[in-house]
Amino acid sequence: MTSTTITGTGNGPAARQADAPSFVNTLQSEWTKLRTLRSTPITLAIAAALVIGLSALITWAAYGSTPRHRTLTDQLDVLTAGWFAGLLTAMVLGVLVVTNEYSSGMVISTFLATPKRVRVLLAKVLAFSVLLLVIAELISFVTFFLSHAIASAFPRFYDPAIGDHNVLRGVIGIGLTAVLAGLMGVGLGALLRNAAAAIAVGVGISFVLPLVFLALPSSIQNPLLEYWPTQAGSQVREVARQAHSLTAWWGLGDFALFIVILLVAAGYALVKRDA
Amino acid sequence: MIQVRALTKRFGTTLAVDHLTFDVQPGVVTGFLGPNGAGKTTTLRMMLGLSRPASGTATIDGVSYHNLPAPMRQVGALLEAKAYHPGRRARDHLVTLAQAGRIPLRRVDEVLALVGLTEVARRRVGGFSLGMAQRLGIAAAMLGDPPVLLLDEPVNGLDPEGILWVRTFMQALAAQGRTILVSSHLMSEMALTATRVIVIGRGHLIADSTVEDLIKQSSGAVVRLRTPRADLVLPRLQAAGATIQSQTDGTITVTGLGVEAVGDVAFQAGVPVHELTPVEASLEEAFMELTRGSFEFQAQGLGAGSAAQ
Repeated sequence: MTSTTITGTGNGPAARQADAPSFVNTLQSEWTKLRTLRSTPITLAIAAALVIGLSALITWAAYGSTPRHRTLTDQLDVLTAGWFAGLLTAMVLGVLVVTNEYSSGMVISTFLATPKRVRVLLAKVLAFSVLLLVIAELISFVTFFLSHAIASAFPRFYDPAIGDHNVLRGVIGIGLTAVLAGLMGVGLGALLRNAAAAIAVGVGISFVLPLVFLALPSSIQNPLLEYWPTQAGSQVREVARQAHSLTAWWGLGDFALFIVILLVAAGYALVKRDA
Repeated sequence: MIQVRALTKRFGTTLAVDHLTFDVQPGVVTGFLGPNGAGKTTTLRMMLGLSRPASGTATIDGVSYHNLPAPMRQVGALLEAKAYHPGRRARDHLVTLAQAGRIPLRRVDEVLALVGLTEVARRRVGGFSLGMAQRLGIAAAMLGDPPVLLLDEPVNGLDPEGILWVRTFMQALAAQGRTILVSSHLMSEMALTATRVIVIGRGHLIADSTVEDLIKQSSGAVVRLRTPRADLVLPRLQAAGATIQSQTDGTITVTGLGVEAVGDVAFQAGVPVHELTPVEASLEEAFMELTRGSFEFQAQGLGAGSAAQ
């Protein structure tokens, strides 16, 4: 090990402009980062188990115990009731994908390799979104069909099929909201650089504040909840449009706009602050 | 060539780096010395675009790190030994960096062999010792086969064999004409490794010269004289304006007079001389002399500490 055979001379691969790394190289790197950590498949497997398991359980409980004279109002809500667990794990994974870099010191290597920090953020967002989209849609469809099979064992009630009005949209939409929740994690992670803080804020935005708003007078509560990003985003899974809520796609757009603003702020903070 | 011009960094009200200006030339190992907290790492971080300077510039061949078209192939850097995710395998860590830098993946196996980590390439790096981490950091720095290398305390945590390896390695790289800047707070290490040194203390430039000149400069006139009749020669030396430290075995350390003058004084006193030696200061002493008063945290003697209680 004391030998000093040095390959190369330091002027071999001249840094010609044509060889300069591009966004594609950064994207490859970010994809490898996701792929080579055990926490990625473990977290996604936990998300799958939670969403599929909880949805199946709640479907079985709801269809099995609802008295004959009641009707289930929006059955897709029931069939995919474990959806919130998916949003939560997607957000946590998004947070960790960024804060891991800071807590481990990896961020130094990352920014030495790619000093253009916005490029790193965009590559991370793209790699993570594609991975999450594929997995989330997969989980969403498996959840729907499993719960659907369970529900069809109770023929007393209407059991939505994938071809019914707005059902396919809802199932696809559930996957999309998970991607946006994951990106909310990325944005909060980049802004706060601390996993615990970012997760706390994310849970606050998604779950706690909407509950707090319920205590407000309806004149304030209704418009607030209508446009509140995570509430608006969840409209995509409502087969029937609710009162005081945006339509499915406008709601999803509202959530997406919030994520874009969050990521722009994260990019700005990334550039302005010392690594 | 690396050019640092009036580089300044503030943390709140503390001036961590204060209008630092220096050049680093290719072909030799340049040591970047300073006591802990002198601003070495802060300076390196600014040179590498990780921290934003309050003012001033740092360029590599005229371009700031941020604007280098292919940074990894132009500059290799080792800042923190553990700049990796502990859950990733050593080889995968290097692959993520090679991909980001558009470096062919065969280079990953080359640098693993170069630093002697081939056998542990498939291990997760969380279990690496500090020495292995340093080697992995050096492997990462060498991925792009860069003409410029900036290394922050690369021998930290290495065993003697590892220290020797890094030393020989850096000198071999410099001999190839590369620009090597290596920071350390260990003067003795730099005396063996570096040809030039840049010394800073409290963010200020204290010295920028060759190791040889630095030692010569500060060794001044220190002469060791050994005689059985110190009592006869001491008053005469003092009269000649020298500062004297005498020891019980008859050894006298004379500061302020050249070796010839001390010899003449002893002859005039008519005392037998058993030893008369010019003392060369070590780089360590030269450094202590230079940075006196610029230590961020000065340790108090045990006596002073207990007296205060």
